[in-house]
Amino acid sequence: MGKTITEKILAKAGEKKEVSPGDYVFLTSPCPVPGIGRGGPPIESMGAKFFDPNMAIVMDDHAGDGSFGTLMETEVGRARMKKRAKALGVPQSNVYINKGIGHLLAAENCWALPGTVYLSITNGHSTTMGGIGALALTLSYESTAYMILGRTWLRVPESYKMVLNGKLQDGVMSRDISDFVLGQLGPAGACYKILEWTGPVIDAMSMDGRFAICNDALHAGAKTGIVPPDQRTIDYVKSRCDKPFEPLVSDPDAKYEKTFTFDVTSLEPQVVAPPLRWTVKPVTEYTDIKISRAYIGTCFNSRIDDMRIAARVLKGKTIHPDVRLSITPGSNEVIKQAAREGILEIFADAGCEVPLPCCGMCGGFITPLIAEDVCICTGTCNYPGRSGHHDAQIYLGNPATVAASAIEGKIADPRKYLRGN
Amino acid sequence: MLDTKKLKGKAWVFGDILDVDFDIYPIELTKGEGRPKNEKDYGKYCMVNIDPEFPKKVKEGDFIIAGLNVGYGHDHETAPLAIKACGVSAVICESTNRNFLRNAVHIGLPVIELPGIKSKVKQGDELEANLKTGIVKNLTTGITMKFDPYPDFLLEILDAGGLYPLLRELLPKGEVPMYARIPRPQ
Ligand code: SF4
Repeated sequence: MGKTITEKILAKAGEKKEVSPGDYVFLTSPCPVPGIGRGGPPIESMGAKFFDPNMAIVMDDHAGDGSFGTLMETEVGRARMKKRAKALGVPQSNVYINKGIGHLLAAENCWALPGTVYLSITNGHSTTMGGIGALALTLSYESTAYMILGRTWLRVPESYKMVLNGKLQDGVMSRDISDFVLGQLGPAGACYKILEWTGPVIDAMSMDGRFAICNDALHAGAKTGIVPPDQRTIDYVKSRCDKPFEPLVSDPDAKYEKTFTFDVTSLEPQVVAPPLRWTVKPVTEYTDIKISRAYIGTCFNSRIDDMRIAARVLKGKTIHPDVRLSITPGSNEVIKQAAREGILEIFADAGCEVPLPCCGMCGGFITPLIAEDVCICTGTCNYPGRSGHHDAQIYLGNPATVAASAIEGKIADPRKYLRGN
Repeated sequence: MLDTKKLKGKAWVFGDILDVDFDIYPIELTKGEGRPKNEKDYGKYCMVNIDPEFPKKVKEGDFIIAGLNVGYGHDHETAPLAIKACGVSAVICESTNRNFLRNAVHIGLPVIELPGIKSKVKQGDELEANLKTGIVKNLTTGITMKFDPYPDFLLEILDAGGLYPLLRELLPKGEVPMYARIPRPQ
């Protein structure tokens, strides 16, 4: 009987011939575990050691400048983090301070590999690594226990097959598909399901697009998102590391609880309005909303694809005098590529703020929103207080929409800025 | 300590889509001086954006009855910590966000998915739950409801009051929890 990619990955990781939804598996991941420091009591307080210090990755992607409290507390936190890593035997090459958002570093360094279970300590957006064909899950509070025992448990979830047909218009991105589908499924529409993204649109989609479409599975309640690996995935991994891996894909006769089919050809850029994460409408519904702040970044949209499309919109333009636009490239590698392609120059000419690579404004860690602010951004959440003051209004959109809105001083459809350039 | 075979208490009924960082444990209240000093402190923020008096009204052993996708959003364990800290013995819901369920179980707070629960329980009803047999009884109305019983390796965690109390008990004796034993449990 045919099996889904998720069932095959879990059977292999759990050392079982085959598994079905509802079965429990007990598994160890071959991939390193990033985010030591958050998730359960410190290992030192348990009188225990890592089952393998080489599997631990220490990083501060959330810190930006303020997530540990004040700026000083953040720096104290960073210094402590480095000492702790050394004391726990974590190799220096596994320590990432101010190198970027962990979920981007995971892709750039192939911490997750096709066909594996990837366990990350940092938050629910670890699912973004489903783009590489891994079953990407979050350990959260269980992290210290996993780093001691080297074992976790999992109930095999059901899978939804998401078939994407047609062709995306210029200015409509994989994030818009993810938000549109969330709007259709609703906030409880995929509780404990796997969102398996397939179809010609996925085959044509860049790796950055695949990471983005898996990034926000949690807001529909899904356990994770996954894109079965193809040649594009294999080339991506092989160009970045020489670790062995065995890509797994779904059988043609695999069983899915439901199959959803969408044609994306007429899909418009989507906008999420405050305060509910699942109020999703086309950008044209909100084009009169005036804004005072805008930011591009976060683990959703801070990759080179996102920088490129923002630059195409901003090229030769300047930001509206009533608006501040902050663009946070997600990692040093993204900064280097953006510099190489003249993108940073476009951002500077347009009057953007370009902070160091981190989660930045997503959680209000740097340049938070004040009470009067109305902001459009590429963040993952928009509940009151998410990016600063409780009263600030947060709209969500793709990087092109955010850039176009920053030019006009109000929420704007980016597609007219992209024709011809 | 909670007896997972005989949870007993009053029902506090809430709605659908309770967000971990806004509804259950408003994370913005906990920044700066508001930061809780110890685990008990988390309880004073539980559900206050919905019912500011909830932490004062709820009694030890009571239940939270929730609708769809309780624990919505990020995987922050602060939400189940807040629920457990104000004395709640279990959350019974129509459906849950799995990160919320995992974190809850690992801190020793059972989360029971029981579709139809909202139609069978009113505010204030007296309930009894048994995680091993998978039965919830509404003592006020006499209705009995069934759910998938908890497997033994999760009951081991809950009976110890959470994953870390269990580890602190087992590790010094050179033992590991059931789910980590070799050969793997079936
Ligand atoms: S960018 Fe935002 S959602 Fe992503 S990991 Fe950082 S804080 Fe979390």
